[in-house]
Amino acid sequence: MLKKRGLKWAVLPASAAVMLLLSGCSQQEFSRGFLPGVPGVTNHTDQITGLWTTSWIVLWGIGLIAWGLMFYAIIVYRRRKGETGLPPQLRYNNPIETLFTVVPLIITIAFFAYTARDMAAIEEPNPNPDVTISVIAKQWSWDFNYVDGNVYDSGVQSQFAGKEGSLDALPTLYLPVNKSVKIDLSARDVIHSFWVVDFLYKKDMFPGRTNHMYFTPQVEGTYKGKCAELCGEYHSMMLFNVKVVSQAEYDSHLAALAAAGNVGQLDNRYDRNQNLPGDNPEIRG
Amino acid sequence: MATATASKSTYGTSKKTKGQILVDWITTTDHKKIGYLYLITSFAYFLIGGVMALVIRAQLAAPGLEIVQTKEQYNQLFTMHGTIMLLMFATPLFAAFANILMPIQIGAPDVAFPRLNAIAYWFYFFGSFVAVAGFFTPQGAASFGWFAYAPLSNTTFSPGLGGDLWVFGLALSGFGTIMGGVNFITTILTMRAPGMTMFRLPIFTWNTLVTSILVIMCFPPFAAALFALGADRRFDAHIFDPANGGPMLWQHLFWFFGHPEVYILALPFFGIVSEIFPVFSRKPIFGYKTLVYATIAIAALSMTVWAHHMYVTGSVLLPFFAFTTMLIAIPTGVKVFNWIGTLWKGSVTFETPMLYSLGFLTTFIFGGLTGVILASPALDFHLSDSYFVVAHFHYVVFGTVVFAMFAGIYFWYPKMTGKMLNERLGKIQFWLLFLGFHTTFLIQHWLGVIGMPRRYATYLPEDGFTWMNQVSTVGAALLGLSIIPFLWNVYITARKGEKTTLNDPWGYGRSLEWATGTPFPRHNFTSIPVVRSESPAFDLNHPEATGSVMHTAGKKKD
Repeated sequence: MLKKRGLKWAVLPASAAVMLLLSGCSQQEFSRGFLPGVPGVTNHTDQITGLWTTSWIVLWGIGLIAWGLMFYAIIVYRRRKGETGLPPQLRYNNPIETLFTVVPLIITIAFFAYTARDMAAIEEPNPNPDVTISVIAKQWSWDFNYVDGNVYDSGVQSQFAGKEGSLDALPTLYLPVNKSVKIDLSARDVIHSFWVVDFLYKKDMFPGRTNHMYFTPQVEGTYKGKCAELCGEYHSMMLFNVKVVSQAEYDSHLAALAAAGNVGQLDNRYDRNQNLPGDNPEIRG
Repeated sequence: MATATASKSTYGTSKKTKGQILVDWITTTDHKKIGYLYLITSFAYFLIGGVMALVIRAQLAAPGLEIVQTKEQYNQLFTMHGTIMLLMFATPLFAAFANILMPIQIGAPDVAFPRLNAIAYWFYFFGSFVAVAGFFTPQGAASFGWFAYAPLSNTTFSPGLGGDLWVFGLALSGFGTIMGGVNFITTILTMRAPGMTMFRLPIFTWNTLVTSILVIMCFPPFAAALFALGADRRFDAHIFDPANGGPMLWQHLFWFFGHPEVYILALPFFGIVSEIFPVFSRKPIFGYKTLVYATIAIAALSMTVWAHHMYVTGSVLLPFFAFTTMLIAIPTGVKVFNWIGTLWKGSVTFETPMLYSLGFLTTFIFGGLTGVILASPALDFHLSDSYFVVAHFHYVVFGTVVFAMFAGIYFWYPKMTGKMLNERLGKIQFWLLFLGFHTTFLIQHWLGVIGMPRRYATYLPEDGFTWMNQVSTVGAALLGLSIIPFLWNVYITARKGEKTTLNDPWGYGRSLEWATGTPFPRHNFTSIPVVRSESPAFDLNHPEATGSVMHTAGKKKD
């Protein structure tokens, strides 16, 4: 009797698992925990993917225990027809309460240790990058300064309205493959945020301050970039592409920019914050 | 004198005119009536904010839609959706439940400062109205997001009266919240009935106390920050000027308020479900003291974690804030296991309040798991400001506030009105709401992971976000529909609902509100209540409880 009833309750999670398997999510997607991109996009993404999937396995374990105990309790200890009276009025159980305080503490400390290790690696500054780029965000596009080549590319706001085919027109940042990159990030009006989705990393861009990010792109391709901090009306149109290309292609892109007359750097002279005590260029830079 | 006597003698016998009723409500200092005012007003804002959410979801149903005419209007919608839901719905809803229940749960006739209580409500009422009134100005309401990051929130980038109304309206409303907090703390500390020691307080009252302490710690800095922002906007004060680090200053001040605010929203509703689980499990709350200490630990830690909203700014001490944030998972987990412990070996029935509480627990567990993920900066760099965050906080905040609100309304409705809400409609509403909620928000985790930023008015067809957004929009429609059975339930219950005069219509109530009349008498109790444990009403109604056993049709069961 109880076995049969147990079977009935097992149908739900089992069918959910089957549906998940049949829903067409590939092995690859699943093993990466649905993170976008392919393995090794940058030198950091595999580490992030590892932390992500391991954390989820542990957390699903904890979640399934919690949900399992809850559903077990409400099914097994439901008040049946004809029952009267009260169950034992248990108020506490110190060993169990200590257990569910100490075990999560240990898990938390372990999780913190791995997090601390990985974020230190991701945030580690590289004093001698192969390529230095300066990106300046503006409402609602991007200026890319190729510092080493002393050329720039000034983006204009993208236009699209629900139809495909606008990706190519987006401002595009070129990076050479397998070269260590440092990107200086700042803004000339409000706060923006530089997010290359497949790189699994973003960093805010502030007016009046410069942030940095360090990585090495390892797989050639075109990657989607988005502004991730609300920056006004056309926030959702502040998109860009990152093209990771061979050194030769990179060099020819820089040469094309120079040939087009984009020589020099676009700095923050055009900052739109007005009436500031810092309008003195020594402070504003 | 003569008229006074005449009106006194007719009091209660003749029907009051509409004008008298109106004057009675707007001049009341009765904690229950003020509580009902809070409840009705905040529920109205819940509906307004909900309609905004439906428009937002409609706009995102396909790439390139123009459900709203301009993206500026879209920005106004999500800004005011967030502002309304957090500061005009959820926070005052805490004041609603605390006002209605807390004095009764401690055996007091009213709060310590009844008139302060009234003015707190009216500050909230007018402050909220001022903030929302931006919609009636030519340029519309505030559109800089509910956390109003500088410099976007200054007049260079967000001109218009809507922003000013938002800043000063919230400051006014914030003072109401602070006054409420002061009042609740004083009441709990000084007005408990004889025998009601601190460790006999119902968990809801404990959580009200801890929440109020959080309120008086984090709302004053917020009010100050708002006045500073107002000074920037109206008087060119340069306080949040980028030239002197203003954008980071604002973020610190805002999140020093903003993070504890999340716990101000959550803790009272943890309190509500902590009242409901024991009643429908017919057992006392499991680990009362552990639960109280867990609440205090959550509150203390919540003041130390604000910069986890700022991991991607590149200027916060990541390890410190990551560690404190992860630590919060422990007392939160303790609470979850204490609730499960309350169900364990109980005798569980599934009336609507219990269904909602279980819906809360199911939802909240997942919100907790995604919270742990977000606590890790290495993972948050990718997820910050994406739909993963949107999904996470709706699991936590909607899962807590809305599920526990309906649980609390169904649970205490007979005490408030003398009538039981319809159980069948309540269950229909629960399942609609539960399915609608999870359809709307579960998929948003994946949307965020594959790269959809929050606050985007539209997206590209090539992004691959379309079908997930459509699932979410369909879920939102279902969620919106689920409110209809509730409104219908309230209406038909008022028309022809089942009346009850039992002190404890659910039969297994524990705290003092179940030991007094239904609906509540004018001054809560007709005599001083007797308190000998943390379950005074249960002691009164179930003297057999000591060494109790359960019987199944004559069979003995342990």
